[in-house]
This record gives sequence, C-alpha cells and structure tokens, in this order.
Amino acid sequence: MQLSVEISGDVAVVALFVDELDASNTAEFKQQIAPTLAEHQKLVIDLGAVRFIDSSGLGAMLSCLRQLSAKGGDLKLCGLSRSVRSAFELVRLHRVLDIHATRSEAVKAFSA
Amino acid sequence: MTTQPTLEAPSAEHSHDPNEHADSESARRAAEDIVSYARYSLCQPIAALSPDELFNAVALSVRGRLVDGLFETDRRIRERDPKTLNYLSIEYLLGRSLGAHLDSLGLRATYRDALRLLGADLEAVERAEPDAALGNGGLGRLAACFLDSLATLDLPAWGYGINYEYGLFKQELRDGNQLEKPDNWLVRQSPWQIERYDEAQSVPVYGRVEHAVDRSGNYNPMWLDWQVITGVPHDMLIPGHGGRSVQRLRLYTARSSQSFDMQIFNAGDYLKAMERQVASENVSKVLYPSDTGQSGKELRLLQEYFLVACAMRDIVSRFERDHSSFEELPGKVAVQLNDTHPALAIVELMRVLVDEKSLAWTAAWDITRATFGYTNHSLAAEALERWPVALMERLLPRHLQLIYEINRRLLLQVGAHFRGDTAKLARMSLIEESAFPEVRMSHLAMAGSHAVNGVSRVHSQLVQENIARDYHDLDPAAFASVTNGVSQRRWILQANPGLASLLTRRVGPAWLTRLEAIRELEPLAEDEAFQREFAAVKHANKLRLARYIHDSSRLAVDPDSLFDVHVKRFHAYKRQLLKVLHIVHDYLALLDGGAAPALPRTYIFAGKAAPGYQRAKQVIKLVNDVARVINADRRAHDYMRVVFLPDYRVTLGELIIPAADLGEQLSTAGTEASGTSNMKLALNGAIGVCTADGANLELRDEVGAENLFMFGSSVEQVQALRRGGYRPADYRDSDPSVRRLLDALGSDLFSPGQRGFHDWVVQTLLDPRDEHLHLADLASYLEAQERAARTYAARSDWLRRSIWNVARSGRFSSDRAVREYAREIWKISPV
Repeated sequence: MQLSVEISGDVAVVALFVDELDASNTAEFKQQIAPTLAEHQKLVIDLGAVRFIDSSGLGAMLSCLRQLSAKGGDLKLCGLSRSVRSAFELVRLHRVLDIHATRSEAVKAFSA
Repeated sequence: MTTQPTLEAPSAEHSHDPNEHADSESARRAAEDIVSYARYSLCQPIAALSPDELFNAVALSVRGRLVDGLFETDRRIRERDPKTLNYLSIEYLLGRSLGAHLDSLGLRATYRDALRLLGADLEAVERAEPDAALGNGGLGRLAACFLDSLATLDLPAWGYGINYEYGLFKQELRDGNQLEKPDNWLVRQSPWQIERYDEAQSVPVYGRVEHAVDRSGNYNPMWLDWQVITGVPHDMLIPGHGGRSVQRLRLYTARSSQSFDMQIFNAGDYLKAMERQVASENVSKVLYPSDTGQSGKELRLLQEYFLVACAMRDIVSRFERDHSSFEELPGKVAVQLNDTHPALAIVELMRVLVDEKSLAWTAAWDITRATFGYTNHSLAAEALERWPVALMERLLPRHLQLIYEINRRLLLQVGAHFRGDTAKLARMSLIEESAFPEVRMSHLAMAGSHAVNGVSRVHSQLVQENIARDYHDLDPAAFASVTNGVSQRRWILQANPGLASLLTRRVGPAWLTRLEAIRELEPLAEDEAFQREFAAVKHANKLRLARYIHDSSRLAVDPDSLFDVHVKRFHAYKRQLLKVLHIVHDYLALLDGGAAPALPRTYIFAGKAAPGYQRAKQVIKLVNDVARVINADRRAHDYMRVVFLPDYRVTLGELIIPAADLGEQLSTAGTEASGTSNMKLALNGAIGVCTADGANLELRDEVGAENLFMFGSSVEQVQALRRGGYRPADYRDSDPSVRRLLDALGSDLFSPGQRGFHDWVVQTLLDPRDEHLHLADLASYLEAQERAARTYAARSDWLRRSIWNVARSGRFSSDRAVREYAREIWKISPV
C-alpha cells in the first residue's frame, strides 16, 4: 500500500493511494501508519483516492482516532467521495470523526 | 413423467386482426432493426438464429422503442417534479412480455409483418419467451397488474423487487406426485433487463453495535464490523397501454462486494476462495427459500433486508437529487409495502433519517409514517411474519435497536391512550415476548404507515376486527379498503384475443383503459346473435385448451362438455378437497346407481403446492389418483374427465381461464383476502361457484347472486360453527351419501392395492378441528353444482348469465384499484 506523509506545522497529513480500503489491506494500512501515529498528535488522513471502504477500513479509522485521543490528539479526515462518506454516515462515524472537504480545511481546523 | 408441450399462443384469431397490415415502410424498418440487433448485439446473421435467439433479437428491438418512451416519460417527470409512488414487493409474477409490449405500443401488426418479411412467425417468437415467474401466486400477479395500470394511467411510479435467478419452481408430476424442478429463467439472460452497475447499492449486514459518544458527548451507537452485499439493479421497462408512459421495475441482483480472496486463491484453495462470494450471491438466487431450517430463515430475512436497503437508498438518492429538505419527502415520495415482506423499509428509512441525515427522532418518525402505506394480504397466522429477535440482532443489530425505540415510544402512546389496559400493551407491542421473543412484522408495518388497507371489503373489515383491532382503536382514520383488481390488457387482450376482438367490435376500444365501458354489453346479453358470437369465442378457447390437454397428457376431452376449472395455489383454505369430493360424489352416483351426471364435465385443476407443504402435496396426489381411476373407467367415459395440468403459471392461466365455463372459488368464508382468479374468470365469461368470501361478495353485488352459484357458510356461520364445536361426524351419520363418499376415499378405490393410502382425507374431514369445515359446506356445494349443471343445459340462459358476468365485472380492473390507491393513499396524479 502506498502512503505519503507530509508535515504541515504540527499536523501530519497522510494520503492513501489505494482504490479500496477493506479487509484485504487494512492490516497493512495499520502497520504503515503506526510510526506516524506514534510520532504525532494531530493527524489528517486524505481519503481522496479511495473509492470504496468497508467496515474493516472504517474500523481502522476508528482505531486511529482512539490511539490519538488516548494521548490527547485528534484525527481529521478529508477528500471523501460521496460513496465513502455514505459509509461513514451509515455507521454514524461522521459524528465521531471531524470530516472536511479539503486537506487545507482539515489542517486549518486544528488551529480553530 | 409428464411432458410439457409448448403453450399455444393465442394469435390465430387475435383481436388485432391477422389480416390487418402495418404500412410496409414501418414493417421494413422493424425488420431491419431486428436484423441489426441480431448482428450487432447477438453477433449472428439473422438466418442462423435459433428460436430463442430470434426472440432475443425481436425483444431487443422492442426494448429500443420502450427506451424512447422511457426517456419521454422521464422528461415529463423532471419538468413537473411530481410525487412518485415506489411499490415494494417481494414478488412480481410478470409472465411473458413480448405480446403485451407490442399491444401496448400498438406495434403488433408492424412486427407481425416484419417477421413475415424475415420468413418468421410472430406467434412462434412469442412462444419462445420464458415466463418471468418471480412470484408465487396472487400477490405477485397483483403487483404485475398494478405496474401495468400505473403506467397506463400515467401515474409516476417505480417498482422495486429482487431479480431472482431461479423463479418459482417448475412443477412436474411423477406418479401423480408434485416434483419440483428449478426454474432457471435467467439462464439465457433476459433481453428485457438493463443492468445498471453504476447505480449499485452497498448493503451492510451482520456486525455489532458499539455504544459510544459523538464529538458533542451525545450517545452515538455505531454499527461496526458488517459485511457488504452489493445490489446491482436490473431495470425492466413497463409500458402503459398506448405507450405514452414507460416506467421501471427495478430488480436487484446480489453480488459479492469482493470477487474473492486472492491470497487463498493463489494458495490453491479455490473453493474456499469463492465461498464468501457464493454466500453473498445466494441472496438473490431463489424465491422463497424453504424457511423450515435456521439457514433458510436467515436467508429469507437477508432477502427482505436486501430488497429494502437497495430500494430505500435508491429512493432517497433520487429524492436528494432535486430536494434539500427531508420534510418534503412525504410530499414527493410514497412507498407502498405489498404485504409485510418489505416492512423493514420503515426501519431502514428511520435509520437513514436519524443516523445518516441527523434528523431528530420525532421529525424522522412523522416523515416515515407519512411516507409509507401497508397492504395486508392475509389473516392467516402463517402469513403474519415474525422474526426471532436473536436472528434480527445478528443480521441487523442497529435495526433491532431502532425497532426497540419505535416500540418504546409506541407503547408510551398506547399507554397514554388506553390507560390501565396492560393487555393491549402486550398485544400491540412490536415484540412478542416469550422465551424466544420475536419481532411482529405486521405490527411494525401498521405502526409505521399512515394508511393500512385490506384487499376486499370483507377482508378489510376482518383485518380491523381481528389482527389490527387494537391499532384500529388507536388510529381508525389510518384504515382503508381497496379491493384488488386485474389488468384487462393481460387477462382479456393477451389471454382471450377472440373476446377482445368481440368487445371492441361491440362496445368500441374504450374498455382497454376504462373497463367499466363493458357494461354496454348488458343489452346484448339476451341478444341471440351476440350470444352465438360469444359462444363461438368460448368454444374456440375450449378447443385450444383441449388441444393442449391432449398434447400434454394424451387425454381427449370434449370441448362441448362443461369445463369446470379450479386454478390457484394448492392450500387447505382454498379447499381443493371440496372439489375432489364433488367429483367423487358424481362418480360414485354413476357407479352405484348408474345415475349419470346431468351433463358431461371436464374437471380441470392447475396449481402448485409450496415445496414444504406436505398436506397440499397430498391433495395434488389425490387429484391425480382420482383422475387416473375415473379417466380409465369406461363407465365414466361419456360423462367425466379429470385433468391436472402441471406447472401453473401466468401463461398457462392465459390458456385455461378463457376456456372456463365454471370457475371454482371454494375458500372457507373469512380466509381468502380477495382472490383475483374470481375476477379473471368472470371477465372471461366463466360463472363462479363461490363461497361468501373475499371479493366473491363484491362480485355478487355487481353481477347479482342469481348469476352466480353461491354456496356454503357465511363468515358469521363459520365463526359460530367453530365456536359451537364443529361435529363433522354428524354429517356422515345423517347422510348416507356422505358416508359412502368417506368409505370410498378410505378404501383402495383410488389407490388400487394400497388400501388406506388416502386415509388422511377421511381423518381430515372427520376431525372436529378441521378449521375449513369441509363437511359443513358439502351439501350446499353439491346443490350449487346441480344448479350449475341445470343452468348449463339451458343454453341461452347460461350464455345470458355468462355475458352478464363479463358486462358487470368492469369494477374489477386493476385500473380502478390503482386509481383508488392513488387518490386515497398515495396522493399522486397523472403526469
């Protein structure tokens, strides 16, 4: 799985370059994002490239949030397609996670 | 084993005169169109096409015309943004479509001539079309008739259902026993279906609810760890008569969301790799999987949710395209639940509104109730669906939570309304409490709908007095009655072109879209010339059926004999057994005293029994055993023939019903919700032998009791008999002919060498718990049959009554039923 990590001030922005985040690759995703989670408290995940997410992928997002919350941090998401956003709404994760349209809005939200 | 001859298409004398020709230019263009589809869609030169492929090429060509009509209908709907009906049904019994579409579009002559130019025959092409049997019986056929009427009346509507790979089983007979064979109707892919992968829906199932809080600290249950099934829509286009409106029946096919696990596949375990995919795709594999086992139950609930989830997401996304506030939803969207199978749609809409769209509960509930209507189709305990709470919790944990909350609020309302009536609380609860609690789906449907209707006057009344009494007490204004109807385009124009032609000649074509117009036949009922024409049509239909019977069972039947028809599902309440008693009674009279029946009769049965319904299958076996003995007995040769035509389906109904003289409607009073074969038969001039049940009562009001052969106990008498202790042995002891009948059935007369094989019949009939009270109604039934025979013998009198039945059945059009729903419940208008 290809991930890119950019640092914007004290915010780490992770972009996923996969079509689908599902049971076949969430373990790999968790493994790859672990160092970033360990190093940062403020994290943005850009899901702009993701076309499909299943409950494993959603579970991975929830897991990231919980790890960050445990140390006083937060997770924000951006770039969700309509169908990916629907999956978040389906499980009511949109009420738990802070979701923004663009990467810059998500980064900016940390300083609001 | 029986063989299945090809059903004869009715076209030789089709109303649309075979000598009528389209203009040569339009026929030539249609022929080119067919050739083009053969070449570019089927990749075959026209001359090389098999009959099935030729049907596909013709259907694709006709489908092109339907698409033009669909676009035009869509354009009108976009411009006006009307309120739209969404009809949710687990069944659609469509039958064949080619002939119906050609007639709707006014293209029969064009395609007949086009096919002649290609050296082919339209009627042969029609015969190549398999029945779309996505249904079991009346419920599914009603849904199909309603779609026809909605399109004909230009009412904006969508149908939603499941694209079963296997329809209802094909019925064969082996030694008189029903044998079920798979009906793989989609094996060649239906040319009528248009796959819309881009509009597929993801349907989550299973998983768990995690109780958490949201960012504002409010309770936020999250549905996690579900699996996804993908629902891929396949649209079938339904034209109205005249072709002005074309609408969609959207049927969903279940596909696995992931193809298969590549890692397992690469490791060589191919079967395991495909396992999950196969399990997901089972959801749309078969109509009504047996629910006797746990896995069957689970699959059925999965099917119901699959339909509901796909349909509601599609409906909501179409609504959201043009509207921003969900408060507008009930003003733009009506959803009708065809029985309780899609009742979870209520919970699904609540989930969407509350969970996804963040509406407050009360606002969401008001919107949901204002959107839904529910049609009850049965009072029978077995038809009132209940799902184990444990199963619901495993499959749909979030939905169960929502059901609990709906119930909590409902019971608060009930408690406030009927203070101190704790029994009412228990009766009205959506949950039936016991060691293994269950969700009552009819309660859910009633609680979540602003309109609840029965399907005939008496049925609606019984609904309100029995299963819905408490709900009726709470909100009487929500209850309505809409008597079922049937489409005259299917049941006269398609099924009986001879009669269609005669009607059009005598009263003009208005009856096709306004069936009440056939009342103009009334003055002709006693007109001798008209009677002759009418009789000639019936005789031709009887000849057609007699040929089919001969081809299918090598049995010669006399088309001049009275065709006595019992066609419907085999079920105890429909009392096929009573019909058998009549046949055996007449046969015994012939054997014992040489008393020949007043006139020769051909008794015709057709119908299927649910695969797990052993008693109904035993009745099929009994009918066939009785038939074998009587048909082989030379003494009965000139008087009686008993025929069981296997594999009853729409196309076979189209052949049998127009040939019927007598139509048997024998249900125990209070058990048949409406019935629709009574309407189809009356419209085709068959006179009913009817109990006072369902829509028979309304048929009696329309045609007059004197023009039917009514018999048997009324609803009140049935209730009194059951209350007072039914004593069937009294009928045996007081009437020697009943004793003789029972003795014969208990002997080996109909099971040579196997004495006692049909003992169950005697036990059933003499059982005081026989809830269908066969022996209580027997004498009255036999007397009604004698009246029928006497009347048939008086030819002119019979014809007058038969014509009167046709003339007075205008009310039983599905157009009338749909107009009532549109006006009273859906609040939709033509576009």
